[in-house]
Formats: sequence, structure tokens, C-alpha cells
Amino acid sequence: MRRSLQAFVVIIISGSCLFLNSCLEVTCIDETEAYVKANFYSYSTGKPLVPDSLTLYGIDMENVLIYDSVKITPPALIPLRDSTNHAAFVIRINGVNDTIEFIYSSYTHLVTKECGYSTYHNIDTTYFTKHAIDSISTKNKSITTDNVENISIYY
Amino acid sequence: MCLVISSITTRTLAQDTIQFPMKFRLGFEASGSAKYFYEKDRANLEGYFSADINEKFSGIFIAGRSDYSYARYRDSSFLMYDYRTKGFYFRTGIDVNLLKPARSQGKYFIGIGFRYGISHFTYEIPIITHENYWGRSQTSVSSTSAWAHFVELTPGVRAEVFKNLSMGWTVSLRKMIDPGTGSDMKPVYLPGYGNGSKSFSPGFSYFIIWSIPFKTKRIIIQPKEEEEVDETDQNQNQNQNQNQNSDMMRPGNFRQQNSGAPF
Repeated sequence: MRRSLQAFVVIIISGSCLFLNSCLEVTCIDETEAYVKANFYSYSTGKPLVPDSLTLYGIDMENVLIYDSVKITPPALIPLRDSTNHAAFVIRINGVNDTIEFIYSSYTHLVTKECGYSTYHNIDTTYFTKHAIDSISTKNKSITTDNVENISIYY
Repeated sequence: MCLVISSITTRTLAQDTIQFPMKFRLGFEASGSAKYFYEKDRANLEGYFSADINEKFSGIFIAGRSDYSYARYRDSSFLMYDYRTKGFYFRTGIDVNLLKPARSQGKYFIGIGFRYGISHFTYEIPIITHENYWGRSQTSVSSTSAWAHFVELTPGVRAEVFKNLSMGWTVSLRKMIDPGTGSDMKPVYLPGYGNGSKSFSPGFSYFIIWSIPFKTKRIIIQPKEEEEVDETDQNQNQNQNQNQNSDMMRPGNFRQQNSGAPF
């Protein structure tokens, strides 16, 4: 009887510690935004060339700039619109304006229970003007939270 | 001509046995019910059946039902998502008692279990809100059914606290095989598994168990006899002479031949 009581106490105490520990809430530590990740290159040499000044904003979103005349640390992060299958941007490279438009499909992806859901995209087509930009090469069509280069902009 | 002559020495040891009660066990998982008192959005009922295969191994079958809803907020005005799921799950496998039979006596268990789990569940996400540069957008996922598979390692303890009534807990270390929903829509909560967004999910179960002895097994905990086999392959004539000498010289053989008594 005494031995059973000891076993009972040990099981109750050790089990209660584990039970309480299992109720702890965890915070989100993962990246939740899926951006188009763009790197810049010299069209003449093909080597990486970060613009001295980059301005970027969405068309119809002139009041909210993504980059405002800054020298960025690559890659440039370009957010796509969730509610439609296309998004267009004005990109000003060293004072010269161009536009880039992405046509894509979207789908929902669970990041983690704590971080919730993100919207991932698959780029179908990229359109752009050629004032400062020479060409755009699509390296990876899948737009996720992974740190992978999606497009290369040659200027 | 050669002849094989074997001399076999037998030592008989004192036999020590115990009567080990083989049992069926019926029980339920208590922590899920306890959590429901302060966490109304999670209901879990789980039943437990096991049967001793021998003094070390027992087969186990667990069935349960979960009903779970979870709303995740970024702040009080921003609902990130609202997830609802319900379903059944089953686990089956074996428990291995690491205690020796003389110590466990069919009452105590310190050991580890190996289980395969399957879960059939339905989930829906009425609201998923996402906000980025372009503003806030909402989407939803309608009710969808899926099957998920997982495996589980369960170290744990159990003790009989009253006659045929045991209590115990297990830590569950679960590894997802297939969430059944694809890699993008992993279940926020998977009945029987836990957080389905992770490929590894730890858990904890607290069992109250009623034992039903169905057979008593006699277990020898010390070997009955030990045999020493000494084989020599010698010439017949030489053997006769040598065996006469050597048998007389060996104390064990000498005792066996004279007394025949165990020692």
C-alpha cells in the first residue's frame, strides 16, 4: 500500500509538470510575406550592379512608396496583390522611370500555426518598359517566403 | 578407428519462479477532458485498450475523437484566421515494459511504446485574412475531408494505485508521414496528432486504466539448469585410459558420478 502511494505521488507530480508545460503558447518567428525577389545587374557586363537610387511603388499606390530613392541591400522585395492575378509597379532606377507588370496565379499556404497563412504566387508573364531596363530574366517563377532570387533586372 | 566420447556435466540450479498476471486493460485519456474545463474550443475523448502478449510486450489500440476550433489574432482588431476541425483517430502498436517481471509484477510499467496512427478529419477555415502593401484581403476554405498518417514513440510510466486500477502518463513524440492535405494546407490541428503544421509534434497523455487479469503466467527468473558440454575426440585405446584418469581427476565429474546430486 505504501509503495502504491509513492508511485501515485510520483506519477501525479511528474505528469502535472508535463501537462502544464504542454499549454505554453508559442510566438511567430517565421517569415510570412512572399515577395518577388529581384536582383540588379549591369546589362553590359552581366555582373551585379545595385542602383545608386531606387524608387518603387504600385500603380494606383503613388502615395505609398515601397522604396523611396534609396540604395537598397539586394534583393529588392516586390509585394504582389492577393486579390487579383496581376500587379503593376513603377520602378525608377537612377532617376529613369520604367513600369513592370506581373501576371500570376495565387494560392494560400500555411506557414505555421503561430504565423498563420501566407499567399504564394506562380508568375506566368512579366511585362516591362525599356527606358532604363534592358531586360528581365525570370529565374524562379514560384513566389514564396524562401530566400530565392525570382527575377534578374538588367539595366 | 575413432570414437567420439562426450562427457556432459549437468549442474542443476535452484529454480526461482513468479506468477505473472497477464492482463487486459481498458482506460481513457484524462488530460483532454481536464483541458476542456478551461479551453472550451478543444474537446478530446480518447479510449485505450491493451492486452499483454507476454510479460514484456503488450499490444495496444487507441481510438479517439477530437473537436477543435482555433482563432488566431495578430491584435484585437485583426483576425488572422479561424480554423475548425473535427474527426476520429486510431493508433495501434506495442508497449515494451523495460522493468523485469519480478519488479513489474504486472502492476508497474516503465517503458516505451511504438504506434502507427491514422486520422480521418474534416476541416474548414471560414476566414483567412492577409495584409500587405496592397491592403487587406480575405479568403476562406470550405469544409474538406482528409486522411492523415503518422507514427509515434511514447515513453511513459504506469503504476497500479489500487487493486486493478492504474494511472500513468506517456510523452508522445509524433512524426508525420502524410497530413493528407498537401504541403500548402497542412492542418493547424490534426486529431490524434496535434499541430499538423509541424512534421514533429510532441504531446502528453494521462491515462486512468482498469486492469482485468485473464491468465497467470509462470515465469522462471533464474535458469533451471546449466549444461557444460565437454567433447573430446581421441583414439579409443588412449581415451579409455585417459578418461579413466581424467574423470577421476575432475572434481565436478567425480561429484556427479558419486552423488548425482545438484549443487
